[in-house]
Parts: sequence; structure tokens; C-alpha cells
Amino acid sequence: MGETPLIDGHNDLPWQIRGLFNNELNTVDLHTLNNTHTNIAKIKEGRLAAQFWVAYAPCDSQYKDAVRYTLEQIDVIHRMCQKYPEDLMFAASSGDILKAFNQKKIASLIGVEGGHSIDSSLGTLRLMYQLGVRYLTLTHSCNTPWADNWLVDEGSHPAENNGLSKFGEQVIKEMNRIGMMIDLSHVSEKVMNQVLELSAAPVIFSHSSAYALCKHKRNVPDYLLQKVAHKKGIVMVNFYNNYITCSKNTTLLDVADHFDHIKKVAGYQIIGFGGDYDGVNRVPQGLEDVSKYPDLVTELLRRNWTDLEIMAALGENLLRVFKEVERVSH
Amino acid sequence: MRIIYDNQLSKVDLRKIPQTATDISRMQAGHIGAQVFSAYVMCTAQEKDAVRLTLEQVDLILRMCNEYEELELVTTAAGMRNTKKIACLISIEGGHSIDSSLPTLRMFYQLGVRSLALTHTCNTPWAESSSKIYPFYKRGNNSLTDFGKEVVLEMNRLGMLIDLSHSSKGTAWAVLNVSRAPVIFSHSSADAVCPHIRNVPDDLLLRMKETRGLIMVNLYSDFVACGQKGNISIVADHFDHIKKVAGAESIGIGGDYDGASGFPDGLEDVSKYPALIQELLSRGWSENELAGVLRNNFLRVFEEVEQVSSGGRSAGQSQTNTH
Repeated sequence: MGETPLIDGHNDLPWQIRGLFNNELNTVDLHTLNNTHTNIAKIKEGRLAAQFWVAYAPCDSQYKDAVRYTLEQIDVIHRMCQKYPEDLMFAASSGDILKAFNQKKIASLIGVEGGHSIDSSLGTLRLMYQLGVRYLTLTHSCNTPWADNWLVDEGSHPAENNGLSKFGEQVIKEMNRIGMMIDLSHVSEKVMNQVLELSAAPVIFSHSSAYALCKHKRNVPDYLLQKVAHKKGIVMVNFYNNYITCSKNTTLLDVADHFDHIKKVAGYQIIGFGGDYDGVNRVPQGLEDVSKYPDLVTELLRRNWTDLEIMAALGENLLRVFKEVERVSH
Repeated sequence: MRIIYDNQLSKVDLRKIPQTATDISRMQAGHIGAQVFSAYVMCTAQEKDAVRLTLEQVDLILRMCNEYEELELVTTAAGMRNTKKIACLISIEGGHSIDSSLPTLRMFYQLGVRSLALTHTCNTPWAESSSKIYPFYKRGNNSLTDFGKEVVLEMNRLGMLIDLSHSSKGTAWAVLNVSRAPVIFSHSSADAVCPHIRNVPDDLLLRMKETRGLIMVNLYSDFVACGQKGNISIVADHFDHIKKVAGAESIGIGGDYDGASGFPDGLEDVSKYPALIQELLSRGWSENELAGVLRNNFLRVFEEVEQVSSGGRSAGQSQTNTH
């Protein structure tokens, strides 16, 4: 972990900061904050080198103030970096991640979680890119006018777009053109298939795990893991108990099983870490907070993962995807 | 661009646009060195999708200025001084575009917006418009609320120009008492020459002079000729009057082309500015005074706004999230 940056795909601390502190960073010390999974001291203990912080607006703000809400979350991430310049470095490229790593700072990137945040507006998508956003999760747990979410597969939401609408296809093309990573966590299976077909750049799952081990519609079935491998994308494993063991009782060993399974089915080149810390209320024993990543790495080493495979999972895979997305945009 | 082409630049050649008063060839003929383009959304979008619509207008301006080699986006006074092209600046025309959200204001600044008109023709929850078309957010005795003051101070801290065109007199006076940096009227003329709610009365002109602000004269017939079509001469009367009351250093030009229809004879479009300058020369304005009107006064104000923002960094940033 000293040689390769650990890059985590999905952390909802900004959502906690809004709920607990109304985004008033003056009222909290991020070094020592103690009622969240994440604080700066724990990040350092956990050897976390780069984090995609999530700018999330709730689904019930769709068609209301989702855009403004999302801008506020993007703003709080920028202010976090401005307030803690010794520890956090804002990053918007694969190069920035490495630069921060060399300076021993935590590269801080932004992912927007939910297509409803762009209000069906490509201009808004472009400007969010300009504000530093580098991935967009196409849906949260609600359909947009142009993409269906995973609850359609569970049967509780109607299929409104049969996957992606025509406009949804335009969104994909525009994301490829500007260099915004496409995140398929939370989308329906049809959308996963269509995007993996359509996208000219590799795609990501910022926080999803293996369906074969826990049959939850937020997870990725084996055949899709193979499609991701074919497109050279990445699946960043979510630690949430409900997605790891499909039950409340989960340990670090169960999470390692997901890593093993994905490696077996689709190869080590598509694996990453997407803990979903501070976005969920139940995390595994042994992975209680962001200081615990090294214990998971130790377990993988114990399971005979090679250094090459570990470095790939830690950060090389994400960097590869990010660089290719950047290349496709130019 | 939005109304005619739905923001689709592929459908239009910005060098020659048939339906507008502005295009690049006429800007060049008019010797425009810098243009503040307005990202405007209608008042009826307030509390609905004003933020998203404004983002789309900002996106349009960014694309326009990127796609044409004659144009260059600038976001600093230095950038404006140094460019060899027509400088593009972005302003937002109406506080309703920020949806009472300081983070949204900050993100617009990050996107390159350098000026915000506090209101358009409608009140916001925190500031009052000179126009009474819309019934919402009627103000009692507080033309600028406490939150409105926060907005002004945050704009000072960021280095965003405060534009009082369209604001009520009450709001204008309140802002002039709070702002730590000079402010502008981006497109308003002299009330004494043509009484109109959009124009600036003499007492306010004096206060603007005191605070080293800028009145950028609007050329629209309704505001300069009070209902008549008008001509260059009546427009020049506005310049003369403001010079007399507030000094030539307080004056700039804010045409309002393509924001209004109906301009005086001789000033039909953006190629006609030289005729106005010619008239002022013939009225005895010095070259120095005219250089001020043309650009130096604006640059001075812009630089002072930048200085206030970097000087105030130690004062700490507003943590207020939303009203």
C-alpha cells in the first residue's frame, strides 16, 4: 500500500456532513469527527490514498431542487479540500491522483450519485464536469426520464425506459466525449447490458458486489462481470452487509470472498474497492470504518493473492480505467 | 440563442446571424474589445428550474467562446487586458438563478461567472426588484434582507461584481451600504434625462461616485428617449448628465443589445458604437475620458473587486448554506 495508492470508489461523508452539520465545516473537525465511519485520522490509518467523495441529492428531489442540492454537495467537497489543504488535495484526473499520492495527501475526487442530478440536461452534465465531477452514477434508486434503476428488477418500480431511452444513449455518448466515467451501480440489469454495449470507454461500478455470492439486485451477475472484463472496466466491491452476505451478520472474510469470486470469474483486472462507508448503516465485523482496509489486504495476501493482483485491486485497475476514459475523450 | 436556436450552435454561424443585433462581424465593426454576455432565465422559473436553466445558459456562453477563434473567455481583469481577441465575460441576470443558495453562487463563480444582477424583474426572497410585474416576495421595509447582505458579502469575498440594474432603489441603497467593493449598474441610464424605474436618479449617481462604482449606460430607446425612438444625441445627453453629476470616471457602456428591441436611430446594432463615441468627441469629451468610458473604468472597478476578494481572505468564508 506504500507503492500503489488505495483508491476507494464511493464514500458518502458529504451526505453525513449535510445531515449532521448542514455543511457548516466550521462546526466540525474532520480530523477527529467520531460519529461517522470516516475521518482524516482514520483515513490515514487505513492507508486510503484517494477517495471519490459522493455528491448525492435524494431521489425525492427529482423534478424539484435536485440540481441546486447537488451543486451544494459539490461545493462542500471543494470546501473540505480548501479547509484541510495539508491532508486533502482536490483531484480531477488520473495524473492528479498520482500527484497527490506522491505528496502524501489524500486525492479527493467527486462522483455524482444519480442521473436525476442533471435534470435531463447535457449542459448541466458538462458544467458538473467542469466543476470537477468525474463520474456520474446513472441512477440512484429511482428511474430518471432516460434510465431505469435496479428496483425495476426487484419488481417494485415500473420499467419506464426499457433500460436506456434514446436520450439516455445521448447521455452515454456525451459522457464518453467529455471524459466523465459512467457508473452503473444502482442501475437495472438492462441498463448495465446496454451501456456495456454502447460505451466507447470502459465503465465502472463504484459500489457493487458479486451477485453469485449474494443475490441482491444491487450486485453484478457473473455474465456481466465477464462483460466488464471484456470492456476492461472495474467493479469496486461494496462492503455493505446486505450486499455481501444478504444478511445482517457479515465479517471481513465474507468481503474477501467477493474479491476471490470476481477474480475467479472475470480476472483480477476488474476489481476495486468501493466501501460505501457513511452511505450505509451496517458494515462488516473487521471493516468497521475506513481505518480497516489494510486488514482486508492482509486477508487477500493470506489467500495467496500476488502483489501484482493486490496492486491492481488497490488502484492500478481504477487508474487504467480512468486513463482510458481520458484518452477516449481526446 | 436559446429562443431561436435552442442553444444549438451547430445551427448558426456566430459571425453572421440574421435575426439578432449582435454577431461577431458586427462586434468587430463596432470595435468591441470585451463583451459581458448575460446568462438569463425568466422570472417564472424562480422556485422551479431556474438553476438548471441558468447552467444551460452559462454552458452556451462557454461553448460560444470556445468554439470561435475570435472570442476568448476571460475571468480576470488581467485576462481582459492581455487578450488579443474579443474577451467574453459571463454575467447572470437575476438572483433567482442562485435559488437562495450561497454554494450555488460559489459554483457559478467557479464556472467563470463574474457578475450577478441581484434581481431581474422580480423580487427574490432576499432582494427587491424595481419592477412590480410579479406579486411574489413583496418586501415590507427590508429591500435587502439579512440573507441578502450575506449574498453581497459572499460576492465581495469571491470577487464577483454586484450588478444593481433591475434592483429597486431601496435594494441599491442597502447594497451600497454593505458592499466592501465598488458595484455596477450593467445596463441602466440617467433618470434625470429620462425618468424610468430602470434608470439611476442623481442621488444614487452621487453615491456611486462616492463608492467608485460604474454606471454602464443602457442604449434601449425606452430608457434613453422615454418612449420616443431617440437618436445618438439623446443618448449622448445621458452620458453628459452622468459626467456632470458623477464624473466621467463613473461611466461605461451597457447596450442591452438582444435583450431589448427598439434602439435609437444610428445605434441599431453592435456595429454602431463608434458613432456614439464620435458624438461624445464632438461634445468635447477628452480622449482620456472616452478611454475610461470604453474600458478603463470597467477595468478599474473589476480590479478593485478582485483586490477586495483577495484582501478579505483572512476574514473567513461564509458558512451559510441556504436561506
